[in-house]
Amino acid sequence: MFLFNLTLPEFLAILGSLSGVVVALYLLDRSRKHHTVSTLRFFAATEKPPVLKHRRKLQQPWSLLLQLISLLLLLLAIAQLRIGSPARYSRDHVLILDVSPWMAARLGPNRLIDQARSAARSYVNALPLADRVMVVRAGVLATPALLFESDRKKILIAIDQTQPGAASLDLESALDFARRAQRIQAQRPGEIVFIGAARIPSEESARLDPPANFRFVPIAGPTEHVGLRKMTVHRATDDSDIWEVFLAVKNYGTAPHSVPAAVSFGGSPVATHRFDLAPGAEESFSFRFRTRARGWLEARLPSPETFRQDSHAILELPSRGVVPVTVYSAEPDLLRPVFTAIPGIQASFLPPTKYDPKTRGGIVLFDRFAPPSLPATDSIWLEPPSDKSPIPVANIEPAAKLNQWQADHPLGAGLRARDIELINAEIFRPAPGDITVARSSAGPLIVARSGQMKTVVLGFHPIRSGLKYQLTSPLLFANIVRWMSPDAFRSWELTAGAAGTVDVELETETDPAAVRVQTEDGRPLPFTIEGKALRFFSADPGIVRVLTGDRELVYSLTLPQPGDSVWQPSNVKLGLPGRAPLGPASRDIWQWLALAGAAGLIADWILYGRIDRRMRAAKSAPSPESSWRKAS
Amino acid sequence: MKPQPLIDSALLEKLERLAIRWQKSFPGLVGGHNISHFAGSGQEFLDHRQFHHGDDLRAVNWRAYLRLEKLFLKMFQVEPRIPVRILLDCSNSMTTGAVSKFDYARKLAAALCYVGLVRLDTICIQPFGSHLGDSFLCGGGRHRFIPAVNFLQDLKPSGRTDYFQIAREFISTYPQRGLLMIISDFLDDSGCERPLQYLSDFGHELVLVQVWAGEDREPSWEGQLDLTDAETGEKLEIGFDDASRRNYVEAFDAYSRDIQKVGLRNGGRYVGISTDTTIEDAIFGPLAQFGGLE
Repeated sequence: MFLFNLTLPEFLAILGSLSGVVVALYLLDRSRKHHTVSTLRFFAATEKPPVLKHRRKLQQPWSLLLQLISLLLLLLAIAQLRIGSPARYSRDHVLILDVSPWMAARLGPNRLIDQARSAARSYVNALPLADRVMVVRAGVLATPALLFESDRKKILIAIDQTQPGAASLDLESALDFARRAQRIQAQRPGEIVFIGAARIPSEESARLDPPANFRFVPIAGPTEHVGLRKMTVHRATDDSDIWEVFLAVKNYGTAPHSVPAAVSFGGSPVATHRFDLAPGAEESFSFRFRTRARGWLEARLPSPETFRQDSHAILELPSRGVVPVTVYSAEPDLLRPVFTAIPGIQASFLPPTKYDPKTRGGIVLFDRFAPPSLPATDSIWLEPPSDKSPIPVANIEPAAKLNQWQADHPLGAGLRARDIELINAEIFRPAPGDITVARSSAGPLIVARSGQMKTVVLGFHPIRSGLKYQLTSPLLFANIVRWMSPDAFRSWELTAGAAGTVDVELETETDPAAVRVQTEDGRPLPFTIEGKALRFFSADPGIVRVLTGDRELVYSLTLPQPGDSVWQPSNVKLGLPGRAPLGPASRDIWQWLALAGAAGLIADWILYGRIDRRMRAAKSAPSPESSWRKAS
Repeated sequence: MKPQPLIDSALLEKLERLAIRWQKSFPGLVGGHNISHFAGSGQEFLDHRQFHHGDDLRAVNWRAYLRLEKLFLKMFQVEPRIPVRILLDCSNSMTTGAVSKFDYARKLAAALCYVGLVRLDTICIQPFGSHLGDSFLCGGGRHRFIPAVNFLQDLKPSGRTDYFQIAREFISTYPQRGLLMIISDFLDDSGCERPLQYLSDFGHELVLVQVWAGEDREPSWEGQLDLTDAETGEKLEIGFDDASRRNYVEAFDAYSRDIQKVGLRNGGRYVGISTDTTIEDAIFGPLAQFGGLE
């Protein structure tokens, strides 16, 4: 019974108050009426005693009783009184459907998700028709597909539209979500039902605490399965042409398995390995292979009929970048050893007379000369003429001593040489925004200018000065080339894993502003950084790129990674409820109550109300003709 | 706010075709049956009125017809006359009812007055309560009707009815016998049969017009009633139901029949009219049939 959420005493209080009002109105209506008449002589002639010595308070008790009964019926109609057992009031259930990738596995002709949908439909059909159901799809996120709804058609549509996702199951979050939904939105909480394979990590399985109203409808999946867990590829630190590949395979079954794994690049096999896996064991395999080409690296396990999603993984390896460097020098032999020692660049040496201002791409180096027109690409200037230097020369120091490097800048990173004597070194006058890479006590000796065309100017010749036999010289040029062409020196790391939350270990604490996390189509993804740990979330399968300066990490989130254990809760209701509903749990009768109440009031009005008096008066009133008394 | 006229002009026009008739012959210039209102040529011209079917063609003003192409009837004054006396009940009992009996009675009196004036009768309106009030005498044509209406509108109901006293005062005031039209509810606690008989025995021709409201004849109330007599202020507590109502109606009808007997057995007439009846229906219905109008 619902009457503005009133309890029975409150309902009775309202009924009593209204009944009092009705009785008062009744007594007022039936109270003594005052009239002024022309004469009293005819009233005295009535047979009934004209004056009642003991006046009855209730002249028409049946009228009062009829009114009170009608009022009670109307109140009960407003209260939506229902016929049925109180225990069979409609309840609100939360139906959680497992949409983890494992639900795409086949057992026989059907997928597990098909079985789950069938079980869900059976469960819904077993509920009383008045019960409401919320459909929640549980993957890595618990997503409500339908809020509490009693329309069976909508519920079944939401169930039928449920498909396996790409991310593994987070059952704990799904149960928490269901509990919150029942607490906040449900009028009368029913059951929380989970239908699925319930493959979750073993550590989560141990700490799961299902609620008291939990029902588990397990969907049995394949018992034996071996799948790829992870594949990671990155360049070797000692040779940038070599890729190091890491492969992890897990046995999800209860029997040992011996599984061959084949890895191919561009369709050509590069490695094979046989994994001998004990039940529940996970083993890994690493190998190296050399290539500078771009292509697809594919790892493949024997493809089972039951679940194929994690039987292969594909990563796209980028080609190694080469930066062209054009050196305009009258003495190319001085600089040739320096540039041949830097990996990842392709140096060409030309005399100054062959300078081409239309050279685009790469880096040009001017050795002690200034071109007639500025280049259209990045440039390195060694001891340029004082009057044509891109950075103004303040003065020429006959005996300068290099004693400071800008170590916190990529251009000066790792450079340690000090107290280098420099003869006739040019001292520059940098503009605001210019970067002083090295300086002497007299002023800046190496100045860099960023912008669309990056420029680095050295006030001395490294090979013709005291730096000739220092390691600083090739490192300085390597820093300059890496600063000018960072893409060519970017380190790559490619990982095939599962969708969901991904943790990335950064090499250093990085400014979040310098980090980009984006999808394959360039759409940025939100991420957090705590110390050296970067975390982002992607519920959809695909490729996510994490760019941190000169490092790029590519995540191919395509491996399903099902849970390593099947959750088997205890002390919960298992399976579908056995009894099908025979009909509605309780039936509305407010319409009939309202009709009966209204009929009672109308009957009272007709039988005892003013209409009866008027009708009787009209019936007995003389017609105009009858009021004429004919003279005889 | 301009007071509503007692009778509208449309009804007045219809009233012009009526005349007050009496049955007895009274001493005076006009004999019985009221057939000699117009004395013929040689009488003093008094007024014109519209010609109606049945009028004497000899009285038509043909000169006016030639000019206006309308028939007008010339009327001549005949005097002295025996006045038609209208006794109008102005007691407090006339104030009860959803439709005021007093207003209804005034309208009836005004209509009868107009009918008499049009026929050149002399009309005497005599209000009464416990005593006779100031009377109003008019005659000589319809142009005297307005003062009569003003007189009627100025009347106020008051006091109680005492028909014995009224009969005595009337006989002493008006020794000349004539037609006496009494418009009243005749609801006198002491009864009015004997005073009416007294008036009839004196030689007056009575036309009794009993006016009652709906609740006078059949009260629609039910249950416990506190009743107050409008004239005496006497109170009565009573339980009233269907049986009581039936008894009440029977008593009222019996009383009305007694009054009717008084009116009829002495050559008079009786008309009972409910206030639910319109004035026009009352005039052209029961009054025209049984109340001395034709």
